[in-house]
Amino acid sequence: MSRKIERLINLTIALLATKRFLTKTEIFKSVEGYEGSPETKERMFERDKDDLRSLGIEIEVGSFDPLFNDEAGYRIKQEKYQFELGDISSTEVSLLSLAAEAWQEASLGDAAQKALLKLRSIGIPSDEISIPGTVQKLSDGGQDLSLITKAIAQKASLEFSYLDAALTINARHIVPIALSTRNGFWYLTGVDQEIQEIRTFRIDRIHGSITSNTGPSDFETPIGFDPRKTFSESAVVDFALIDVRVGKAASLRALAVSTRSLGEWDQIRIPILSMDSLCSLVLWHGLDAFVQEPAALRELVIANLEALVKNHG
Amino acid sequence: MAKKFSAPLERTARLLDLVPYISTHQGISLKQLAKDFDVSVSQMTDDLTTLWMCGLPGYTPLELMDLDFESGFVTIHNADTLAKPRSITFDEGVALLLGLDLLRSALTADRADLSEKIELLSQRLATLIKLPSALSATSVVNQDVSTAITKAMRTRSGLEISYHSLYRDEVSTRIIHPIEIIEAEGQRYLSSYCYTAADFRQFRIDRIQNAKLHDVSMDIPQAPNQNTIYTCSIKVLTPTREIAERFRKSDLQANTHFAFESFSKQWVERSILASGNAVSLQSPPEIRKSIAVMAQSMLDRYKVR
Repeated sequence: MSRKIERLINLTIALLATKRFLTKTEIFKSVEGYEGSPETKERMFERDKDDLRSLGIEIEVGSFDPLFNDEAGYRIKQEKYQFELGDISSTEVSLLSLAAEAWQEASLGDAAQKALLKLRSIGIPSDEISIPGTVQKLSDGGQDLSLITKAIAQKASLEFSYLDAALTINARHIVPIALSTRNGFWYLTGVDQEIQEIRTFRIDRIHGSITSNTGPSDFETPIGFDPRKTFSESAVVDFALIDVRVGKAASLRALAVSTRSLGEWDQIRIPILSMDSLCSLVLWHGLDAFVQEPAALRELVIANLEALVKNHG
Repeated sequence: MAKKFSAPLERTARLLDLVPYISTHQGISLKQLAKDFDVSVSQMTDDLTTLWMCGLPGYTPLELMDLDFESGFVTIHNADTLAKPRSITFDEGVALLLGLDLLRSALTADRADLSEKIELLSQRLATLIKLPSALSATSVVNQDVSTAITKAMRTRSGLEISYHSLYRDEVSTRIIHPIEIIEAEGQRYLSSYCYTAADFRQFRIDRIQNAKLHDVSMDIPQAPNQNTIYTCSIKVLTPTREIAERFRKSDLQANTHFAFESFSKQWVERSILASGNAVSLQSPPEIRKSIAVMAQSMLDRYKVR
């Protein structure tokens, strides 16, 4: 096993160090570890090339004299091999290191750890004074974030079973366009292939595994889509006016876009993302919250209160 | 899960990454190096022995890497070809991009300088791994709060926090002694001794609005107070995902009952109210009664105006 690893390292070094393309003959003659019959060497070399490529190392194939029909040559370009972020300051190294530290034992934690080692290998000391000292931790909740992000990059399609609000499980088929995390949950946004509209799914509500397939060839990310606005009011047309008692209803206030003082009460304006969940939040706050507008939300609250009185009488 | 390579490839990748790391950490101890790469010391010794045989074609002492680790401290010379860290993989890029976005969202408004730096770095990274802007992470914890918590845990000092209690719906100021951070259901809690309540409490970190260091005595009383437990019987009228998630029950059927325990009467009352017509609380009778009374007075107010 060590022999193979040695050979892979020696091949990488030789292909990196060469200024021109190296032919197979030259490689077999000079790089340590290629032994046996010509066929054996050939097979070894083919496997080694595949192995290096699977590690993300790009091997260029070319000819060193285009005028003659020469034997193909190989080399690895230093600028493709190395971590190339351009000029990087110590503040930037610190920011990247802190970003890597946001991951713990999650599936991407391993990748983050390797990225951190590479960052530390750049040899620029981090600058700890001018940046925040800690970062909140991210965890993947056991989700296959790698599969999802690869599908986004390749515009692949994803199929999964999703638990909907009425507690039934439905098959969904989407082309993913964004992955986001907030409040400890992960969200997957994509264009639903049944209805051709953007939908967001909470990943922990996906049942079983996600399968990835080749996506539609003509797929384009919808124009103007911004993953950071998944949860903001940009998509909202309706607002609710709710009276909340002074000093109370902090969870409703957190959603408000504006507040007007009415003395003992404040009137807040909240974008309506879902009528049902806003109704539920109003009910949670009991006598400290009162819906003024819209009529539809008032009626929903009243209907639920009537049922509550009846069911608990 | 992130892609796993076969053992020889995993090792090849590690050897390639070792060279730039040692080059910028000359004289690092063998033990520390093994720890940094998350392998045993004997595995690291094997790795270095293999690496010691590698170099440029020719493989005379002139071409081989000059690697020294016999003293227990590692140095490397003559390794220019591999001295630069390898380019990052797709998964590594994704991890960094999400981490950067989390960092950006937690910055306080006075750090616009950093926010701009993060934005530019993210663009460069996204180009490297060929993933257009598609990732976002939003921190709900104030940067000052997480810094104060870390400092308090490190120096074993106390904290003064203002905390929003969801059940009571009020913000209170408390003096606490943080013990540990625990994670449950995707949320992070600060497990603490609370001097204000004279008991052990768990505070959800995203509900801590402010935190500053505060001197506290080191002794924490041993026996925590006994809490009353409310054992509830809840009847399902309409099974919904909201109910399943609120009461953490995976299998809900209409017209069946489930049992639920809570330390907080207010939590039970508010949860039943918020569930509207989907459930009905059968027992305990005194909470059932108070829900009916509360719902009626809320209803009366809507009927008046």
